[in-house]
Amino acid sequence: MRLAIVLGLLVLLAGIVLTVWSVWIHPALRLPASVRELKGQLKTDIAIHPETAPNRNADKWKSYLDKSRSVQARIAQMRAVTGKTPVRPAGEVRLGFYSDNDPNALASLNEHAGQLTHLAPEWLSVVGAEGRLVSAGDPALVEYCTARGIAVIPVLRNMQGDQWQPEAVENLARGPAENRARFVRELAAKLAELKVAGVMIEFDQIDPAYREEFTALLTEIGAALHKAGREIWLCVSLGDQLDSLDLESLSDETDRFVALMYDENSDSDAPGPIASREWFEGWLQVVENYGDNDQWIAVLGAFAYDWNRKENRAETITFRDAMSRASYAGVDRASGVPVGPPEYNGRYNYSEPNGEHSVTFLDAVSFYNQVRMVRATKLGGIGVNRLGSEDPQIWDVLEMKNVPGGKALAALGRMRADATVTHIGRGEIVSVNDSMDDGTRKVSMDADGQMRAHYTDFPTFPVLYHQGGTEPHKVSITFDDGPDPVWTPKILDVLKARGVKAAFFIVGNNGEFNPGLVQRIVAEGHEIGNHTYTHANLAKVSRTRMRLELDATERLIESLTGRSTTLFRPPYNADSTPSRLEELVPLKFAESDEMGYTVVLEKVDPQDWSRPGANVILQRVKDQRKDGNIVLLHDAGGDRSQTVEALPKIIDWLQARGDEIVPIGELLNIPRDELMPLVSASTEWGFWRMVSSTAFPISRRTVEFFWAFMIAATVLTVARTLLVIGLASRHHARTKAEPDPAFVARAPAVSVLIAAYNEGKVIENTLRAVVDTDYPGEIEFIVVDDGSKDDTAEAVLRFMKAQPRVKLVQQANAGKSTALGNAIAHAKHEVLVFLDADTHFERQTIRALVERLDDPKVAAVSGHARVGNRRNFVTHCQCLEYVCGFNLDRRAYSEWNCITVVPGAVSAIRRSALDEAGGFSHDTLAEDTDLTLTFHRLGYRMDYSPEAVAWTEAPETWRGLAKQRFRWCFGTMQCLWKHRDMTFNPRYRALGWFSLPGIWFFQVLLVALVPLVDLVLVFSIVTGSAMGIWHYFAVFLALDLVLAALACWMEEEPIARALLIIPMRFVYRWLLAWVVWKSIFRIMKGALVGWGKLDRTATVGTTP
Amino acid sequence: MKMMLPRSALFVGLLLLLAGCDRPPAPQPPSAAEIAAQAKQSRLAVPAHGIYMGAYADFGDREDDVTLEKIEAFEGLAGKHQAILASSSYWGEQSFPTANLKIIARHNSIPLVFWSPWDRPYKEGVGPDKYSLRRIIAGEHDAYIDRWADAAKEHAAPIMVSFCNEMNGAWFPWSGDHYGGGKVILGTDPPRYEGPEIFKQAWRHVVDRVRARGADNVIWVFHTMDFSMPNDVWNLAAQYYPGADYVDWMGFSLYGIQFVSDHEWAPFFDLIDWPYKELTLLDPTKPIMLCEWGVGEFPKVGDKGAWIRDGFRIMSDETKFPRLKAAVFWHERWQNSADEVDESTKENAGTYSDLRVNSSPGALEAYRKGVASPFLLSEPIWVPKPVK
Repeated sequence: MRLAIVLGLLVLLAGIVLTVWSVWIHPALRLPASVRELKGQLKTDIAIHPETAPNRNADKWKSYLDKSRSVQARIAQMRAVTGKTPVRPAGEVRLGFYSDNDPNALASLNEHAGQLTHLAPEWLSVVGAEGRLVSAGDPALVEYCTARGIAVIPVLRNMQGDQWQPEAVENLARGPAENRARFVRELAAKLAELKVAGVMIEFDQIDPAYREEFTALLTEIGAALHKAGREIWLCVSLGDQLDSLDLESLSDETDRFVALMYDENSDSDAPGPIASREWFEGWLQVVENYGDNDQWIAVLGAFAYDWNRKENRAETITFRDAMSRASYAGVDRASGVPVGPPEYNGRYNYSEPNGEHSVTFLDAVSFYNQVRMVRATKLGGIGVNRLGSEDPQIWDVLEMKNVPGGKALAALGRMRADATVTHIGRGEIVSVNDSMDDGTRKVSMDADGQMRAHYTDFPTFPVLYHQGGTEPHKVSITFDDGPDPVWTPKILDVLKARGVKAAFFIVGNNGEFNPGLVQRIVAEGHEIGNHTYTHANLAKVSRTRMRLELDATERLIESLTGRSTTLFRPPYNADSTPSRLEELVPLKFAESDEMGYTVVLEKVDPQDWSRPGANVILQRVKDQRKDGNIVLLHDAGGDRSQTVEALPKIIDWLQARGDEIVPIGELLNIPRDELMPLVSASTEWGFWRMVSSTAFPISRRTVEFFWAFMIAATVLTVARTLLVIGLASRHHARTKAEPDPAFVARAPAVSVLIAAYNEGKVIENTLRAVVDTDYPGEIEFIVVDDGSKDDTAEAVLRFMKAQPRVKLVQQANAGKSTALGNAIAHAKHEVLVFLDADTHFERQTIRALVERLDDPKVAAVSGHARVGNRRNFVTHCQCLEYVCGFNLDRRAYSEWNCITVVPGAVSAIRRSALDEAGGFSHDTLAEDTDLTLTFHRLGYRMDYSPEAVAWTEAPETWRGLAKQRFRWCFGTMQCLWKHRDMTFNPRYRALGWFSLPGIWFFQVLLVALVPLVDLVLVFSIVTGSAMGIWHYFAVFLALDLVLAALACWMEEEPIARALLIIPMRFVYRWLLAWVVWKSIFRIMKGALVGWGKLDRTATVGTTP
Repeated sequence: MKMMLPRSALFVGLLLLLAGCDRPPAPQPPSAAEIAAQAKQSRLAVPAHGIYMGAYADFGDREDDVTLEKIEAFEGLAGKHQAILASSSYWGEQSFPTANLKIIARHNSIPLVFWSPWDRPYKEGVGPDKYSLRRIIAGEHDAYIDRWADAAKEHAAPIMVSFCNEMNGAWFPWSGDHYGGGKVILGTDPPRYEGPEIFKQAWRHVVDRVRARGADNVIWVFHTMDFSMPNDVWNLAAQYYPGADYVDWMGFSLYGIQFVSDHEWAPFFDLIDWPYKELTLLDPTKPIMLCEWGVGEFPKVGDKGAWIRDGFRIMSDETKFPRLKAAVFWHERWQNSADEVDESTKENAGTYSDLRVNSSPGALEAYRKGVASPFLLSEPIWVPKPVK
């Protein structure tokens, strides 16, 4: 037997080891070569291509310079009439443009808050034909800025999505006055609510035909804001917009004019300088002529444009992006890239497989030159467009008050790499290069005071290469977190009906429970990707765990589908483009040579998991489709009915807009068999696959069984609890009656029997309590000393001197049941009352017990045992257990005559019934249980008397308790075995169908499983997948608590005591579990157990 | 997001399945692909009553950037699906607008394609370029025409094609004005004029070639300007009409004022009445459409909303315009560039012409209310192709 167990354990161990090993061995998947190609395919081309179309606007400033010459004079005239000259605060304004959804902007703000006086977040817009105000806003940002002395001036644009809506402003300007008043009111209220310093108006494409109306509108807004102490700033694009603005009139109505001193060539123009020297100087002169110099803020470009020459439309990128692109394209050191005359803008070209690019970047050098000119013109301040995209060294330049010396120039020449992530390419299939390298540019001063630089070595920032986004009409739909038995099939049905192939990024754990769905996904031509095993946040776990998460899922997919997958999507972060190096770690790990995954992020995230409604999901896809070509949906994690409803609409809409919905592989032009290689192709892993393909189903079935068991156990526990509550309440309501006065006349003679073994310390107290009884009939007390080694006999004899009703019988040590048999033999009366030698009766106890024997069908009456020695945690726990376990159960059981044990510690038994049962048996350790069950066989009733209170002494140490409980448990199991034919025997009704099976299930099986459940719970918490098991755990605990509270109320204990059930759950139950297991093992060993004895102290009193 | 699935969901899900309370799936509306497939099997009916509603939905500078987003944006504003969607196909691109037509077909609309022999940079008022009518007639572009026709045939669904629109104007390179204009061809009586004759030759050349390639799904639209410019006899629509065999629909552009320099408001009725009659005289039965109609927003001169209201009311008058079967609204805003204005229209430089339906709340409301009439049809009426 023992050998079999040992062998079984060894086999189990070996299986576990092999399984773990198989999970750890990585099959050396290789990232398809084509995914990596981009890195090697960037090439620079230092020659500047001729512009495809010469910019007609390049010297537009000249015409405006003419127009502007008379403006100063007219303003002076106007002021002479009004007699007002505005006074503006001294000191240089330093304004930062800020975009809420750019993490780099926040980083830059954090670093340079001390250098800013104003911040312009992009929060407000006016849209619709009627001019509606739409607003965002971030109180935390306002608070942050206010605390640092930065005034927040949100930008108000006439823009919806990425489209200017001039009508929104024009209709306000030319429409009915009440519309204007409404808008001005709304705007003022919004600014007050945001607690900001004012508003920066940036209205574009306004028809100059409405110049007057537009000016009046701005004047009206200005007046309203000034009344509330807020400012109005007006953005001025350099060019045609000057025609629609009457700056002369507005000069005194607005606080600042904000000149946007960039976009000489905008993103929709052909490639060229963003702000060349001549252009900048020219417009600066124009600006100088309008209004007062100190009214103007010059906003300097601090960004770069990357034109794809095929599209003639530029992507706006950061300075760092421009550096990384140049660096990876491999700039020729010898020729380098100049920032110098005549443009003083940095420009280079590069090519990659999808096209030729032209980049123009503005840097700290162009910034220095522009700041110098702005300061020389004595404008009111400088703006940076925009925070987060700038050359970090502009902040040093901003503080340069004098012409920089050699040291400062050398410092400017050293470009430090930092952990900010830069981006190359287009699409959301990414790979990482996290190397960082400082760069150098040679910075020097020209004779005319201009700074120039020569880039020889571009700095390298961590790079995320993007691929798969170059074909405008190819899009992929992806599903995360499944498979799910309810929703995944529905989604697969929709895809099948529409003939669409998608990609499923499965959570290994879910795949394990839905193997058929994993197979169906692959069989129906969809792609499958790895989304970790437990949906773990890989940014927060150890490398070992990361590996395990990926490998276990990979093994599962292989064992189920016969294919590996090279697709991976990290949980949690797929929808936000990483901006810091730390966020790249899991990506880097997944795509490393060791793991070999292709990382798939996404840009179209309608957040279907938040269940916003199918139409909202569709609308969000519509709104975001322009941002990217990988759509994220979810097929698991809750009720996905909205996703299922939205999916056909999304497919229809995408196809209707001309998109081809393709699997990920097609975005990359990688064949399916390369992206998801067949495992048979590499037989060397065959053995490990065999192991994992065996182990996964076994572990799945085990866990499935576990869950089924948990569900069944929960249902049964709930049912039992409700039943016990119902029965006990009925009993409680019925037994509130006063003692029957007529009983005095018919009270039978009673023999009170005590078996004692080494009870010298306590026997005297016990006797003192028991003889102090109000029992009206004849009564005798018999103590059997079971060969005690201490002074038990002497103590009894001492007591007998005062109490002649007490008798002492002595015997050689022979065990408790023999001692009791001996006591019965000496007893004279028909009614026998038993108590343990450590148990104190109250005055009414004997009468309360015996009264219930009136009914001749009742063979035995159980008293109400309570814990007397409540002195520490151990005894307090037992006290609660007596209250809500034993006593409540007994109340309930007595209602249905299915009491399983009339305890020897306090009971009354009819002697004739005892004789009929053959007296106490000696073959189990729980002679009271054995006897009770025998009585049931004979057709007797057992009753329970809650008034028959007996205070018993509970073990005070864990060891003592364990010993006692082991005796009980072992004895009970012996009895259950001995009387096994009673279980589920219809003859015994509630006993056979309710209380006996209850012992098997609730007191043996469930208690034995406590450690397992707890281990699963702990594991679930550690692995973060605890959602499921928590529910069951909470149900169990709540039921325990309810039951305990009810019991406390019935026993008139403080209800709060019930809370003890919570710590008990964790400590006490483990002890019981240990006892049950020990009993099981002992039974298996078939050994006999000796007469367990408690260590006694003499502390129990008659009252608690 | 992305919580692990509570196992109880499995359990509850099973219970629900067992309980059989799953409703049968609702019948799905036809998918975009199914709609497009249907159009391939069909011809476009001329409605017995009612007018197909259509729009040019601001498809970009080259009028060919057709996107579903722009279509839906316009339809959202108008509150009505559009039976016709107009866009351009310039010869200078040397391509067939396959993607555009696919989007339109899947949207269950009929495309109206302005197929214009014009070369980049598509600047008005500069005269013929390498796609001149003479070169077309000489067969220099036959290869392109054939390619275009093959692609049209492959598209299979009906395509309305307006070739060389507004030829009776003076701004496009295919205007009769650029080809000898009113010069009388010797020996003709009644006199025929050089410009229109060359136009007709080119038209027939192109239509013959396209038909020869088997693209019988093309619906040829003879598309004039409402009033000829110059408004001389030789330049009237009748002079350009290539013949009943070469034309399926007839139509004209109808514009109210478009520029700040237009100081007088033109009433809708005056703009439709004469051109409509002019076309009806060319052929007794062919359906007539407003290939483009629209007006700028100039509140100081007139009420755009009222003009649109008039427009819908007048065009819906079956007693007066029984053969009017389609109307395409021109939804666009553009800036008038300084180098395209002359001395007389100097005040237009830098200003905008806002023909958009939402140029003002009044215009938008008038359009929404007007177009909502069930007489104005939101979907094409398909009839099965005759079996060959």
